[in-house]
Amino acid sequence: MSNAKNNLAGINGLDTGRKPTIWEKLSNEKYFKWVLLAPLIIVLLIFMFYPLIYCIYNSFMEGGLGAESVFVGLKNYRYMMRDSSFWIPFGRTLEALVVCIVAELLIGMGIALLWNRDFKGQNIFRGIILFPLLVAPLIMSLVWNFLLEYNIGFVNQLLTAIGIGKVEWWSSNIALFTIAGITVWKWFPFSAAVLLAGLKSLPKDVFEASRVDGASGWFTFRKLTLPMLSPLIIIIVLLRTMWLIRLFDPLYGTTRGAANTELLDWMVYRTSFVYFDVGYGSTLAIMSLYITIIIAAIMYRQLIRALKSG
Amino acid sequence: MSKKFILKRTIFWILTIIIILVVIGPLIWIYLTAFKSPNDIFTSELSRQFIFTPTLDNFKRLFTQFAFFGSLLNTIIISVASTIIVMIIAVPAAYSFSRWNTGGGHILFVTISTRMFPAVVAALPFFILFRNLGLLDTHIGLILLYMYFNVSFATFLLYGFFRDVPIELEQAALIDGYGRFNIFRKVVLPLVLPGIVTTSVFCLIWSWNEFLYAFLFTRSSAKTMTVLISSFWGSIEIQYGPMAAGAAIGVLPTLIAAWFMQRYIVRGLTFGAVKG
Repeated sequence: MSNAKNNLAGINGLDTGRKPTIWEKLSNEKYFKWVLLAPLIIVLLIFMFYPLIYCIYNSFMEGGLGAESVFVGLKNYRYMMRDSSFWIPFGRTLEALVVCIVAELLIGMGIALLWNRDFKGQNIFRGIILFPLLVAPLIMSLVWNFLLEYNIGFVNQLLTAIGIGKVEWWSSNIALFTIAGITVWKWFPFSAAVLLAGLKSLPKDVFEASRVDGASGWFTFRKLTLPMLSPLIIIIVLLRTMWLIRLFDPLYGTTRGAANTELLDWMVYRTSFVYFDVGYGSTLAIMSLYITIIIAAIMYRQLIRALKSG
Repeated sequence: MSKKFILKRTIFWILTIIIILVVIGPLIWIYLTAFKSPNDIFTSELSRQFIFTPTLDNFKRLFTQFAFFGSLLNTIIISVASTIIVMIIAVPAAYSFSRWNTGGGHILFVTISTRMFPAVVAALPFFILFRNLGLLDTHIGLILLYMYFNVSFATFLLYGFFRDVPIELEQAALIDGYGRFNIFRKVVLPLVLPGIVTTSVFCLIWSWNEFLYAFLFTRSSAKTMTVLISSFWGSIEIQYGPMAAGAAIGVLPTLIAAWFMQRYIVRGLTFGAVKG
């Protein structure tokens, strides 16, 4: 890479017989890369640092939109530490996160193992399970809300027909799990597709050898398949954590934070846009940002590693 | 064929059919409901869920009673405009990152972390800024926001595609006397065209599906399709019919995209880390 860079620079240096025009200067190696990057940097500076600085500034202030803001130091942060209406949604978010990721990985792995062979119509089936991935989460939450309606919902009618009886999907005991279930429906194809791609790329001879040696299926899976797939599993877990931590659309389409389902982002939304508490809303936003930055840092390393090895 | 083999095959197909039914069931339900009359929607009989006289009333109501056409148009304008701007910014940036590792990885990290920036965090500052600038409930406001949220993702995804272009090709072009700009335009760009198309489709779909910002930043004149559909639920009278009709239209482009982009979905969703 560095060698190639020198080559490029050397060739560029050849045609410097006369004074270069501005256009030639800009297309010179040294500036060209920054010229290409400039629009992105400008956009990031405006759109990333403005909200960041705004939130940090306001997290030290008190007062709504109309009222005069007063500097209150760390009061908002201290309040947050003791605020159960922050910690309960936070705990729920983690709960939903673990439930979803575990369920998605298990189902995804099951499908990947099941479909990791040649069968009739395999390409069609593998294509069909990708459908939920790109569908609007808000629309799907509305559809699921309808499907899970107590009387007219199809799911309860089906359950009645097979003798299980109706379930109150949106009662406060299980509503959170219902929302998790909707999310799992949308995202298990992601785990399945990634793991299936992973299984297909594994070297065949190793598995051949282990079969010849008489290793059981479970042993092969645990000692060979799982370790080889672990980089992919890490990527799935990180990406899903990143997306799940800001579950918003499924809440809007269903319970809207009622029935013990208020999650972290819903709480931030409510504080900022329903009560218009700019100071505390900013504090919560900053907290939410801290959590994501930690995940993002781990995530980035994994993504770059995967990109460079691939 | 042994008994065990047949048994295994039967189990395999039963499981496969269950998986497929679970996946497409809710999607089929949208299309079934969209063609039902209210009587068939509010039924508690299982058989009537499947056997009914199809009607186009829901679609008629959707376009006449509600401003669905306008909201669809808003969504199209906003998604296309923001995607074009994103590509104009992201393609050169991704090329710069992949060819010269510009900024030594730090700028790339800042770029990717924007995508992980919680949308809600940015919502309040932008809301107040847009209110002062008069950008609330305008197309430009949402275009800018979607541009910002997609540009980092697009840059990172394209970065992976640009990395696949061998540097030797560019060196050969340099020796042939091409300038830097012409190499980018005539050698590299055609090679990453599939990547550019894939990335654009992902940006389009993301903007198409986006709800949170559309919901917070629009009221009437720039109201998008998802916001309109969401208003069918939670009002005094739940409009399942028009909701399903709206969903049927709103979901269709994404289903088509999912089918034709099969090869690239895994790559796109993993930011290019898993090639699929």
